[in-house]
Amino acid sequence: MTLISIDIGSTWTKGAMFAFSAQGQLELVERTAHPTTVDNLARGFNAVLEALAANGAADELFYSSSAKGGLAVAAVGIVPEITAEMARITAHSAGAKLTRSFAYELTNADIAALQESIPDIILLAGGSDGGNAHYPVENARKLARSALPSTIVYAGNSHVRDDVEQILAGSDLICVDNLLPTLDCPNPEPARRAIRDVFLSKITAGKGLDEIVRATGREPSPTPYALYEYTKYISTFAPEFGEFVLIDMGGATTDVYSFHEEINTPGTVRRGLPEPRIKRTVEGDLGMRVSARAAAEALRALAPSDDPADAEFDRYVSKVTTAPETLPNNPEEMHYDALLAQANIATSLMRHAGRAHEVCTADGLVTMQTGRDLTRVSQIIGTGGYLAKTPGFNPSGGIPRLGADAQGKRILAPRGGQYRRDTDYLFPLLANIAKGHPAAAVQKGLQSLTAVS
Amino acid sequence: MRATKLKVVLGVIGADCHAVGNKIIMSVLAPLGIEVVNLGVMVSQDEFIDAAIETGAEAILVSSIYGHGEIDCQGFRGRCIERGIGEILLYVGGNLVVGKREFSTVEALFKDMGFDRVFRPSVDLVEVAGLLKSDIRKSQATTVQTERIAHRLAG
Repeated sequence: MTLISIDIGSTWTKGAMFAFSAQGQLELVERTAHPTTVDNLARGFNAVLEALAANGAADELFYSSSAKGGLAVAAVGIVPEITAEMARITAHSAGAKLTRSFAYELTNADIAALQESIPDIILLAGGSDGGNAHYPVENARKLARSALPSTIVYAGNSHVRDDVEQILAGSDLICVDNLLPTLDCPNPEPARRAIRDVFLSKITAGKGLDEIVRATGREPSPTPYALYEYTKYISTFAPEFGEFVLIDMGGATTDVYSFHEEINTPGTVRRGLPEPRIKRTVEGDLGMRVSARAAAEALRALAPSDDPADAEFDRYVSKVTTAPETLPNNPEEMHYDALLAQANIATSLMRHAGRAHEVCTADGLVTMQTGRDLTRVSQIIGTGGYLAKTPGFNPSGGIPRLGADAQGKRILAPRGGQYRRDTDYLFPLLANIAKGHPAAAVQKGLQSLTAVS
Repeated sequence: MRATKLKVVLGVIGADCHAVGNKIIMSVLAPLGIEVVNLGVMVSQDEFIDAAIETGAEAILVSSIYGHGEIDCQGFRGRCIERGIGEILLYVGGNLVVGKREFSTVEALFKDMGFDRVFRPSVDLVEVAGLLKSDIRKSQATTVQTERIAHRLAG
C-alpha cells in the first residue's frame, strides 16, 4: 500500500510518497518539491503529484495548505488574561494566523482596524457560562453595525447566545460552545473545529484549491492544524519519547508547539488559565527571510555580544528580506543565518514559555508561576526549511542563556537538552498522513530525526 | 424577571498561602446553593476583579489569615470602580490585622475601605451564607429597579 502526502507552502509545494513495509512501517519512496504556483495552486500541486505518481498510483492521498499564510483570525474577549487570552490560544491551536486581539468593549478604533485589514474569521468570546452578559452582547452589536464580511465564530457566554444570534442575524455567524465555560475548565475544541471548518469552506474557494478538492475528492488540512494534531499523536502514540518542544521555523513565521503536562509542586502557586497539554504559539514577526529584519533586532536585544553589527550583516539581512529565495553561499553568510535562527528560536521560546518569580510570605519563599514550565523538557525538534537542512546548527546552546525578562521574572524555557533535526523535512507531510495512520506516521517521524550533538 | 443567581468569587488575598480555610468556606457555601468561583491562595486584587467580570459574580469574598489584610485590601473598592464593577458586594474575613484590636475598630476600618461586611475568624459560615443570599437579593432588586427607571426614562 502506498500513500502520497503533499503540503502547499507559501514558497514551496512539497510532496512525498510513502509505502507500508511488510511490518506495517512507513518507508519513504520519493520526495519532491515544486515552487508554489500562487496564481493557481493546482498547477504546482499537480506537478508534484505527477512526479510522485511516476512510482505507481498511490492508494491514498493526503494534503495540506498553509497558502495565504494561514487563515487570519481576530480574537475578541473580555479580560486580557482570561477570555481574550483563551481566544488567542484557541485561534493558535486551530492553525490560525492571529491578526489582532481585543479585550473589553470594541471601540470605534478597533472596528476601524478590523475594517482596514479584514480577517477571515472573528472569534468572539467573553464571559463564562451564565457569567458576563454585557460585553459579548455589546461587542456583537458593534460587529453587526460594522457589517464586516468576516465569518464570526461565537464562543462566549452560552446564556446570551440567543441574543448574539439575533443581533448578528445578518452576518455569517457560527455559534459553538463557550471556550471557557468556567474559569478553571478551558474548552477550546468546539471553536477550534469551527475555525478549521471555515478554513475548508472559505479559504479553499479560489486560488485553485477548489480545483484540487474536486479532482482528488479530498479536503485539505491547514498545515499548522495538522502539525498540532501530529504533536498530540506523538504524545499519545510515543509516550516513551517524553515531553518535547517542536519548532517550525519558516521564512516569515516561527511556530512553537510543545507537549507538556503541568504538575503541581510544593512551594509553587500557579496563576492564570490552566495550561493545555499541547500548546502552539505563532510568532508572525520572526523568520529567516521575510522577517529577517525583526530576527536581527531580536538578536541585538538578546545577545548583543553575538551581533556582528556591521554593514556586511546589515546588507545580508536586507538582501534576504527582499529576495526570500536567497541561500547562503559562503561561510560568513552561513554564520549570519545561524545567528538569525538562534535569535528567532530563543525569542519564540521566550514568548511560548511561562514565567516565575519568588514572593516572600509568612511561610517563606513561594514561587508564583504563570504559563507553562518547560525547564525540564529536554527534547527539542527542529523542522522547516532552514532547521531541516542545516546539519551543523544546534540551538540548544543559546537557550539556557534566557534568564529573566524585562520585569525580572524567570523565563521557564527549556534548558537546552537534546536537539533533533527533521532531516528529510517530513514532519508536515507525516502530519497529514497521521490523520489516517497516526501510529505509523509517528513512528516514521521520530525515526527520521537526526540527533545533533 | 430574571432568576436569582448566587455566584461569588472566593480567594485568599496577597502573599497569604493558607489554603485550608479557603477550602472550608467553599465546602460550606457550595451545598447551600451558592456557586463559588474559587481562586485559591495568593490572589491579587485584580485577579479577584478579573474573575468577577468574566463570571458576572454578584459578590467577592476576600479572606486573609496572616495579618497583612489591612495592607492587601487597601483601595479594593476603588479598583472595582475603576474596572467597572463598582457596585459589587465585597465581603472580607479572617485574621485581618496584626495585634489585638477590638473587632469593632477592625470592622470600621474595613467598612471605610468600602467592604460591605467584615467577619471575625470565629464567624459561623452558615450565617455568612444567609447574609450573602439576602444581600445579593437586595442588590439585584435595586438593579432591576434602576433598570426599570432607566427604561421608563428612555421610553
